[in-house]
Amino acid sequence: MSIAHHPSDELLLSYAAGATDEAASLVIATHLALCPICREVTARAEAAGGALLEAAEPVAMDAGAFKSVLSRLEDAPAAKPQARAPSNVPEPLRSYIGGDLDNLHWKKVTEGIAFLPLVKHGKTRAHLVRTEPGAAVGLHTHRGEELSIVLTGGYTDATGHYRRGDFQATAAGDEHSTVTDRGEPCVVLAMSEAPLRFHGLMDALIARWFGF
Amino acid sequence: MIHTGAAVVIPVMIAYADCAPFALVPRRAWTRRVAKSMEPTANPAEMTALLASVGKARDKAAFELLFVHFAPRVKSYLLRLGANAALAEDLAQEAMLIVWRKAGLFDPAKASASTWIFTIARNLRIDAMRREKRPEFDPDDPTLVPDEEPQADAQLSRDDESARLRLALTKLSPDQAQVVEMSFFADKPHRQIASELNLPLGTVKSRLRLAMARIRTALGGEA
Repeated sequence: MSIAHHPSDELLLSYAAGATDEAASLVIATHLALCPICREVTARAEAAGGALLEAAEPVAMDAGAFKSVLSRLEDAPAAKPQARAPSNVPEPLRSYIGGDLDNLHWKKVTEGIAFLPLVKHGKTRAHLVRTEPGAAVGLHTHRGEELSIVLTGGYTDATGHYRRGDFQATAAGDEHSTVTDRGEPCVVLAMSEAPLRFHGLMDALIARWFGF
Repeated sequence: MIHTGAAVVIPVMIAYADCAPFALVPRRAWTRRVAKSMEPTANPAEMTALLASVGKARDKAAFELLFVHFAPRVKSYLLRLGANAALAEDLAQEAMLIVWRKAGLFDPAKASASTWIFTIARNLRIDAMRREKRPEFDPDDPTLVPDEEPQADAQLSRDDESARLRLALTKLSPDQAQVVEMSFFADKPHRQIASELNLPLGTVKSRLRLAMARIRTALGGEA
Protein backbone atom coordinates (compact mmCIF):
# COMPACT_ATOMS: atom_id res chain seq x y z
CA MET A 1 0.00 0.00 0.00
CA SER A 2 1.51 3.27 -0.96
CA ILE A 3 0.30 6.75 -0.16
CA ALA A 4 -0.96 8.73 -3.14
CA HIS A 5 -1.91 12.08 -1.56
CA HIS A 6 0.63 14.13 0.41
CA PRO A 7 0.78 17.49 2.21
CA SER A 8 2.41 20.26 0.16
CA ASP A 9 6.08 21.10 0.64
CA GLU A 10 5.13 24.54 1.94
CA LEU A 11 2.85 23.05 4.59
CA LEU A 12 5.65 20.74 5.73
CA LEU A 13 7.97 23.76 5.90
CA SER A 14 5.52 25.57 8.19
CA TYR A 15 5.22 22.46 10.34
CA ALA A 16 9.02 22.16 10.54
CA ALA A 17 9.29 25.84 11.45
CA GLY A 18 6.81 25.35 14.29
CA ALA A 19 4.31 27.75 12.70
CA THR A 20 1.35 25.37 12.41
CA ASP A 21 -0.99 25.13 15.39
CA GLU A 22 -1.58 22.03 17.48
CA ALA A 23 -4.59 20.72 15.54
CA ALA A 24 -2.88 21.08 12.14
CA SER A 25 0.37 19.67 13.54
CA LEU A 26 -1.48 16.60 14.84
CA VAL A 27 -2.84 15.81 11.37
CA ILE A 28 0.52 16.45 9.67
CA ALA A 29 2.53 14.46 12.23
CA THR A 30 0.15 11.51 11.98
CA HIS A 31 0.64 11.53 8.21
CA LEU A 32 4.42 11.66 8.75
CA ALA A 33 4.26 8.50 10.87
CA LEU A 34 2.81 6.71 7.84
CA CYS A 35 4.83 8.44 5.10
CA PRO A 36 8.63 8.15 4.85
CA ILE A 37 8.65 10.46 1.80
CA CYS A 38 7.16 13.38 3.71
CA ARG A 39 9.41 12.65 6.70
CA GLU A 40 12.37 13.25 4.41
CA VAL A 41 10.90 16.54 3.12
CA THR A 42 10.27 17.63 6.72
CA ALA A 43 13.83 16.67 7.68
CA ARG A 44 15.11 19.00 4.94
CA ALA A 45 13.01 21.89 6.21
CA GLU A 46 14.23 21.21 9.75
CA ALA A 47 17.79 21.23 8.45
CA ALA A 48 17.06 24.74 7.17
CA GLY A 49 15.97 25.56 10.73
CA GLY A 50 19.29 24.16 11.96
CA ALA A 51 21.17 26.34 9.48
CA LEU A 52 19.22 29.40 10.62
CA LEU A 53 19.97 28.59 14.25
CA GLU A 54 23.65 28.21 13.35
CA ALA A 55 23.56 31.61 11.63
CA ALA A 56 21.72 33.37 14.47
CA GLU A 57 23.68 36.20 16.07
CA PRO A 58 24.70 34.72 19.47
CA VAL A 59 23.28 36.57 22.50
CA ALA A 60 25.43 36.19 25.62
CA MET A 61 23.99 33.98 28.34
CA ASP A 62 23.92 35.29 31.93
CA ALA A 63 27.14 34.92 33.92
CA GLY A 64 26.92 31.59 35.70
CA ALA A 65 24.38 30.13 33.28
CA PHE A 66 26.50 27.08 32.55
CA LYS A 67 27.22 26.45 36.24
CA SER A 68 23.54 26.69 36.96
CA VAL A 69 22.72 24.13 34.26
CA LEU A 70 25.60 21.91 35.36
CA SER A 71 24.20 21.82 38.89
CA ARG A 72 20.87 20.55 37.51
CA LEU A 73 22.28 17.78 35.30
CA GLU A 74 22.19 15.12 37.99
CA ASP A 75 18.45 15.65 38.37
CA ALA A 76 17.96 15.26 34.63
CA PRO A 77 17.94 11.53 33.93
CA ALA A 78 18.74 10.33 30.43
CA ALA A 79 15.64 10.01 28.27
CA LYS A 80 15.05 6.54 26.85
CA PRO A 81 12.98 5.49 23.86
CA GLN A 82 9.47 4.64 25.01
CA ALA A 83 8.48 1.03 24.51
CA ARG A 84 5.24 0.99 22.54
CA ALA A 85 2.98 -1.89 21.59
CA PRO A 86 1.96 -2.29 17.95
CA SER A 87 -1.37 -0.62 17.24
CA ASN A 88 -3.60 0.43 14.37
CA VAL A 89 -3.02 4.07 15.35
CA PRO A 90 0.44 5.64 15.10
CA GLU A 91 1.83 8.31 17.40
CA PRO A 92 1.17 11.14 17.98
CA LEU A 93 -2.52 10.39 17.47
CA ARG A 94 -2.54 7.37 19.77
CA SER A 95 -1.63 9.49 22.80
CA TYR A 96 -4.48 11.86 21.97
CA ILE A 97 -7.12 9.13 21.83
CA GLY A 98 -5.56 7.04 24.59
CA GLY A 99 -5.30 3.81 22.60
CA ASP A 100 -6.65 2.19 19.47
CA LEU A 101 -9.65 3.11 17.37
CA ASP A 102 -11.72 0.43 19.08
CA ASN A 103 -13.88 1.39 22.05
CA LEU A 104 -13.99 5.12 21.41
CA HIS A 105 -16.91 7.19 22.61
CA TRP A 106 -18.23 8.31 19.25
CA LYS A 107 -20.90 10.97 19.05
CA LYS A 108 -23.42 9.99 16.45
CA VAL A 109 -24.25 12.93 14.20
CA THR A 110 -26.65 11.32 11.82
CA GLU A 111 -27.15 7.92 10.22
CA GLY A 112 -23.75 6.78 9.01
CA ILE A 113 -21.64 9.62 10.48
CA ALA A 114 -20.03 9.77 13.94
CA PHE A 115 -17.64 12.26 15.41
CA LEU A 116 -15.10 12.52 18.23
CA PRO A 117 -13.52 15.86 19.23
CA LEU A 118 -9.81 15.76 20.17
CA VAL A 119 -8.24 19.21 20.24
CA LYS A 120 -9.75 22.67 20.49
CA HIS A 121 -7.54 25.72 20.39
CA GLY A 122 -8.99 29.07 19.51
CA LYS A 123 -10.83 28.67 16.25
CA THR A 124 -9.22 25.47 15.05
CA ARG A 125 -10.01 22.01 16.21
CA ALA A 126 -9.06 18.44 15.46
CA HIS A 127 -11.49 15.57 15.52
CA LEU A 128 -12.07 12.05 14.26
CA VAL A 129 -14.88 11.45 11.82
CA ARG A 130 -16.20 7.96 11.12
CA THR A 131 -18.44 7.18 8.18
CA GLU A 132 -20.05 3.81 7.57
CA PRO A 133 -19.21 1.68 4.51
CA GLY A 134 -20.93 3.02 1.42
CA ALA A 135 -22.12 6.19 3.19
CA ALA A 136 -22.49 9.25 1.01
CA VAL A 137 -21.66 12.57 2.65
CA GLY A 138 -23.65 15.15 0.71
CA LEU A 139 -22.31 18.26 -0.94
CA HIS A 140 -20.76 20.56 1.63
CA THR A 141 -18.71 23.72 1.60
CA HIS A 142 -15.59 24.22 3.72
CA ARG A 143 -15.84 27.60 5.41
CA GLY A 144 -12.24 27.49 6.52
CA GLU A 145 -9.12 25.49 5.76
CA GLU A 146 -9.33 21.79 6.53
CA LEU A 147 -6.57 19.18 6.66
CA SER A 148 -7.37 15.51 6.94
CA ILE A 149 -5.78 12.07 6.85
CA VAL A 150 -7.39 8.66 6.46
CA LEU A 151 -6.75 6.14 9.25
CA THR A 152 -8.89 3.21 8.13
CA GLY A 153 -11.06 2.44 5.14
CA GLY A 154 -11.27 4.98 2.35
CA TYR A 155 -13.42 7.47 0.48
CA THR A 156 -13.71 9.00 -2.95
CA ASP A 157 -14.46 12.55 -4.01
CA ALA A 158 -14.05 14.44 -7.28
CA THR A 159 -10.28 14.78 -6.66
CA GLY A 160 -9.55 11.08 -6.19
CA HIS A 161 -9.55 8.05 -3.95
CA TYR A 162 -8.21 8.37 -0.40
CA ARG A 163 -6.99 5.45 1.70
CA ARG A 164 -4.94 4.93 4.88
CA GLY A 165 -2.26 7.60 5.18
CA ASP A 166 -3.63 9.77 2.36
CA PHE A 167 -3.75 13.47 3.12
CA GLN A 168 -6.23 16.04 1.83
CA ALA A 169 -6.16 19.81 2.22
CA THR A 170 -9.29 21.76 1.40
CA ALA A 171 -9.40 25.53 1.28
CA ALA A 172 -12.13 27.87 2.46
CA GLY A 173 -14.86 27.89 -0.15
CA ASP A 174 -14.08 24.42 -1.54
CA GLU A 175 -17.13 22.28 -2.12
CA HIS A 176 -17.19 18.54 -2.25
CA SER A 177 -19.16 15.41 -1.54
CA THR A 178 -17.65 12.08 -0.60
CA VAL A 179 -18.58 8.42 -0.81
CA THR A 180 -17.11 5.99 1.70
CA ASP A 181 -15.59 2.76 0.36
CA ARG A 182 -17.52 -0.43 0.89
CA GLY A 183 -16.09 -3.07 3.23
CA GLU A 184 -15.17 -1.21 6.42
CA PRO A 185 -15.94 2.12 8.09
CA CYS A 186 -13.71 5.03 7.13
CA VAL A 187 -12.07 6.92 9.99
CA VAL A 188 -10.52 10.27 9.19
CA LEU A 189 -8.49 12.59 11.44
CA ALA A 190 -9.33 16.16 10.48
CA MET A 191 -8.38 19.67 11.48
CA SER A 192 -10.85 22.39 10.60
CA GLU A 193 -10.99 26.09 11.13
CA ALA A 194 -14.73 26.51 10.79
CA PRO A 195 -17.83 24.36 10.59
CA LEU A 196 -18.76 22.78 7.29
CA ARG A 197 -21.83 24.16 5.56
CA PHE A 198 -24.07 21.47 4.17
CA HIS A 199 -26.34 22.23 1.29
CA GLY A 200 -29.50 20.82 2.72
CA LEU A 201 -31.07 19.58 5.87
CA MET A 202 -28.02 18.92 7.90
CA ASP A 203 -26.95 22.46 8.80
CA ALA A 204 -28.40 22.42 12.28
CA LEU A 205 -27.05 18.97 13.02
CA ILE A 206 -23.62 19.88 11.80
CA ALA A 207 -23.61 23.08 13.82
CA ARG A 208 -24.36 21.03 16.91
CA TRP A 209 -21.79 18.46 15.87
CA PHE A 210 -19.05 21.06 15.83
CA GLY A 211 -20.22 22.75 18.99
CA PHE A 212 -20.76 26.13 17.42
CA MET B 1 3.36 49.75 8.62
CA ILE B 2 1.40 46.56 8.81
CA HIS B 3 4.17 44.35 10.05
CA THR B 4 7.40 44.63 11.98
CA GLY B 5 10.64 45.94 10.55
CA ALA B 6 12.03 42.46 10.03
CA ALA B 7 10.43 41.89 6.69
CA VAL B 8 11.76 45.18 5.38
CA VAL B 9 15.31 44.68 6.52
CA ILE B 10 15.75 41.13 5.31
CA PRO B 11 15.80 41.72 1.58
CA VAL B 12 18.54 44.33 2.07
CA MET B 13 20.50 42.02 4.30
CA ILE B 14 20.14 39.03 1.99
CA ALA B 15 21.56 41.04 -0.84
CA TYR B 16 24.68 41.80 1.17
CA ALA B 17 25.19 38.83 3.40
CA ASP B 18 26.95 35.65 2.53
CA CYS B 19 27.26 34.05 5.91
CA ALA B 20 24.49 35.44 8.07
CA PRO B 21 21.10 34.89 6.51
CA PHE B 22 18.17 36.58 8.24
CA ALA B 23 20.10 38.36 10.99
CA LEU B 24 18.69 41.81 11.48
CA VAL B 25 21.77 43.83 10.78
CA PRO B 26 21.71 47.54 10.05
CA ARG B 27 23.82 48.38 7.02
CA ARG B 28 26.37 50.35 9.03
CA ALA B 29 27.10 47.31 11.17
CA TRP B 30 27.81 45.27 8.11
CA THR B 31 31.58 45.75 8.00
CA ARG B 32 31.93 44.59 11.57
CA ARG B 33 29.72 41.62 10.87
CA VAL B 34 31.57 40.51 7.79
CA ALA B 35 34.82 40.57 9.74
CA LYS B 36 33.18 38.47 12.40
CA SER B 37 31.75 36.01 9.92
CA MET B 38 35.26 35.34 8.66
CA GLU B 39 36.15 33.78 11.98
CA PRO B 40 36.12 30.01 11.86
CA THR B 41 32.62 28.79 12.66
CA ALA B 42 31.86 25.63 14.51
CA ASN B 43 32.68 22.48 12.64
CA PRO B 44 29.38 20.60 12.20
CA ALA B 45 31.10 17.21 12.35
CA GLU B 46 32.74 18.20 15.62
CA MET B 47 29.42 19.35 17.10
CA THR B 48 27.84 16.05 16.05
CA ALA B 49 30.71 14.13 17.68
CA LEU B 50 30.32 16.15 20.90
CA LEU B 51 26.60 15.48 21.01
CA ALA B 52 27.14 11.77 20.40
CA SER B 53 29.69 11.75 23.21
CA VAL B 54 27.22 13.38 25.59
CA GLY B 55 24.71 10.71 24.61
CA LYS B 56 27.04 7.75 24.98
CA ALA B 57 29.40 8.76 27.78
CA ARG B 58 27.49 11.54 29.62
CA ASP B 59 30.56 13.63 28.82
CA LYS B 60 30.30 16.95 30.71
CA ALA B 61 33.29 18.52 28.96
CA ALA B 62 31.66 17.85 25.59
CA PHE B 63 28.40 19.24 26.97
CA GLU B 64 30.14 22.46 27.99
CA LEU B 65 31.45 22.97 24.45
CA LEU B 66 27.95 22.41 23.07
CA PHE B 67 26.55 24.82 25.63
CA VAL B 68 29.05 27.55 24.76
CA HIS B 69 28.17 27.26 21.08
CA PHE B 70 24.43 26.63 21.12
CA ALA B 71 22.96 28.27 24.24
CA PRO B 72 23.60 31.85 22.98
CA ARG B 73 22.09 30.90 19.60
CA VAL B 74 19.02 29.33 21.16
CA LYS B 75 18.63 32.47 23.29
CA SER B 76 18.88 34.58 20.14
CA TYR B 77 16.21 32.43 18.43
CA LEU B 78 13.85 32.82 21.40
CA LEU B 79 14.36 36.58 21.55
CA ARG B 80 13.50 36.81 17.87
CA LEU B 81 10.26 34.97 18.57
CA GLY B 82 9.23 37.50 21.18
CA ALA B 83 10.53 36.11 24.47
CA ASN B 84 11.76 38.78 26.89
CA ALA B 85 15.38 38.55 28.06
CA ALA B 86 14.60 36.66 31.27
CA LEU B 87 12.37 34.11 29.55
CA ALA B 88 14.85 33.62 26.69
CA GLU B 89 17.62 32.99 29.23
CA ASP B 90 15.51 30.51 31.21
CA LEU B 91 14.31 28.65 28.13
CA ALA B 92 17.79 28.53 26.59
CA GLN B 93 19.06 26.91 29.81
CA GLU B 94 16.08 24.58 29.80
CA ALA B 95 16.75 23.66 26.16
CA MET B 96 20.33 22.72 27.01
CA LEU B 97 19.09 20.55 29.88
CA ILE B 98 16.85 18.76 27.40
CA VAL B 99 19.86 18.34 25.11
CA TRP B 100 21.65 16.65 28.01
CA ARG B 101 18.70 14.41 28.82
CA LYS B 102 17.91 13.42 25.26
CA ALA B 103 21.41 13.22 23.79
CA GLY B 104 21.20 9.41 23.88
CA LEU B 105 18.27 9.59 21.44
CA PHE B 106 20.19 11.75 18.95
CA ASP B 107 20.69 9.89 15.66
CA PRO B 108 23.48 11.45 13.57
CA ALA B 109 22.15 9.63 10.49
CA LYS B 110 18.93 11.65 10.75
CA ALA B 111 20.10 15.16 11.56
CA SER B 112 23.08 17.36 12.28
CA ALA B 113 23.58 18.61 15.85
CA SER B 114 22.33 22.11 14.97
CA THR B 115 19.18 20.71 13.32
CA TRP B 116 18.47 18.46 16.28
CA ILE B 117 18.97 21.30 18.76
CA PHE B 118 16.80 23.57 16.62
CA THR B 119 13.92 21.08 16.96
CA ILE B 120 14.37 21.00 20.75
CA ALA B 121 14.32 24.80 20.96
CA ARG B 122 11.31 24.97 18.63
CA ASN B 123 9.29 22.45 20.65
CA LEU B 124 10.20 24.09 23.93
CA ARG B 125 9.08 27.52 22.78
CA ILE B 126 5.77 26.14 21.42
CA ASP B 127 5.20 24.51 24.80
CA ALA B 128 6.28 27.49 26.91
CA MET B 129 5.31 30.49 24.78
CA ARG B 130 2.24 29.25 22.91
CA ARG B 131 1.09 26.82 25.63
CA GLU B 132 0.28 24.16 23.09
CA LYS B 133 1.54 20.65 22.62
CA ARG B 134 3.77 19.91 19.67
CA PRO B 135 2.52 16.65 18.14
CA GLU B 136 5.35 14.64 16.58
CA PHE B 137 5.76 11.13 15.25
CA ASP B 138 7.85 8.74 17.33
CA PRO B 139 10.66 7.11 15.31
CA ASP B 140 10.54 4.10 17.65
CA ASP B 141 6.80 3.54 17.26
CA PRO B 142 6.26 0.02 15.80
CA THR B 143 3.23 1.39 13.91
CA LEU B 144 5.41 3.91 12.05
CA VAL B 145 5.91 2.98 8.39
CA PRO B 146 9.71 2.64 8.18
CA ASP B 147 12.02 4.44 5.76
CA GLU B 148 12.46 2.61 2.51
CA GLU B 149 16.23 2.43 2.27
CA PRO B 150 18.82 3.32 4.90
CA GLN B 151 21.37 5.81 3.63
CA ALA B 152 24.88 4.46 4.07
CA ASP B 153 26.58 7.85 3.82
CA ALA B 154 23.88 9.73 5.70
CA GLN B 155 26.18 10.93 8.45
CA LEU B 156 28.63 12.45 6.03
CA SER B 157 25.90 14.23 4.12
CA ARG B 158 24.09 15.48 7.26
CA ASP B 159 27.25 17.04 8.61
CA ASP B 160 28.10 18.49 5.27
CA GLU B 161 24.65 19.85 4.55
CA SER B 162 24.80 22.72 7.03
CA ALA B 163 27.23 24.82 5.00
CA ARG B 164 25.43 24.10 1.73
CA LEU B 165 22.13 25.03 3.29
CA ARG B 166 23.40 28.31 4.68
CA LEU B 167 24.68 29.20 1.26
CA ALA B 168 21.37 28.24 -0.35
CA LEU B 169 19.44 30.34 2.18
CA THR B 170 21.49 33.42 1.32
CA LYS B 171 20.54 32.87 -2.31
CA LEU B 172 16.80 32.89 -1.79
CA SER B 173 15.09 35.82 -3.46
CA PRO B 174 14.12 38.59 -1.01
CA ASP B 175 10.47 37.53 -1.40
CA GLN B 176 11.25 33.93 -0.57
CA ALA B 177 13.57 34.86 2.30
CA GLN B 178 10.87 37.01 3.82
CA VAL B 179 8.25 34.25 3.98
CA VAL B 180 10.78 31.68 5.25
CA GLU B 181 11.80 34.18 7.91
CA MET B 182 8.20 34.76 8.94
CA SER B 183 7.65 31.00 9.21
CA PHE B 184 10.70 30.26 11.34
CA PHE B 185 11.10 33.45 13.38
CA ALA B 186 7.64 34.95 13.57
CA ASP B 187 5.55 31.82 14.15
CA LYS B 188 3.24 32.69 11.27
CA PRO B 189 1.15 30.15 9.35
CA HIS B 190 0.50 30.81 5.65
CA ARG B 191 -2.70 32.75 5.98
CA GLN B 192 -1.33 35.11 8.60
CA ILE B 193 1.71 35.80 6.43
CA ALA B 194 -0.61 36.51 3.51
CA SER B 195 -2.74 38.90 5.51
CA GLU B 196 0.24 40.76 7.02
CA LEU B 197 1.97 41.18 3.68
CA ASN B 198 -1.31 41.87 1.95
CA LEU B 199 -0.63 39.10 -0.57
CA PRO B 200 -2.88 36.40 -1.99
CA LEU B 201 -2.54 33.13 -0.05
CA GLY B 202 -1.42 31.37 -3.24
CA THR B 203 1.50 33.77 -3.62
CA VAL B 204 2.74 33.05 -0.10
CA LYS B 205 2.45 29.31 -0.71
CA SER B 206 4.27 29.45 -4.03
CA ARG B 207 7.12 31.50 -2.51
CA LEU B 208 7.52 28.94 0.26
CA ARG B 209 7.35 26.13 -2.28
CA LEU B 210 10.14 27.72 -4.33
CA ALA B 211 12.21 28.16 -1.16
CA MET B 212 11.72 24.46 -0.39
CA ALA B 213 12.86 23.59 -3.91
CA ARG B 214 16.07 25.55 -3.30
CA ILE B 215 16.60 23.78 0.00
CA ARG B 216 16.03 20.43 -1.67
CA THR B 217 18.52 21.20 -4.42
CA ALA B 218 21.10 22.36 -1.90
CA LEU B 219 20.75 19.04 -0.06
CA GLY B 220 21.25 17.08 -3.24
CA GLY B 221 17.70 15.73 -3.42
CA GLU B 222 15.88 15.38 -6.69
CA ALA B 223 13.90 18.48 -7.52
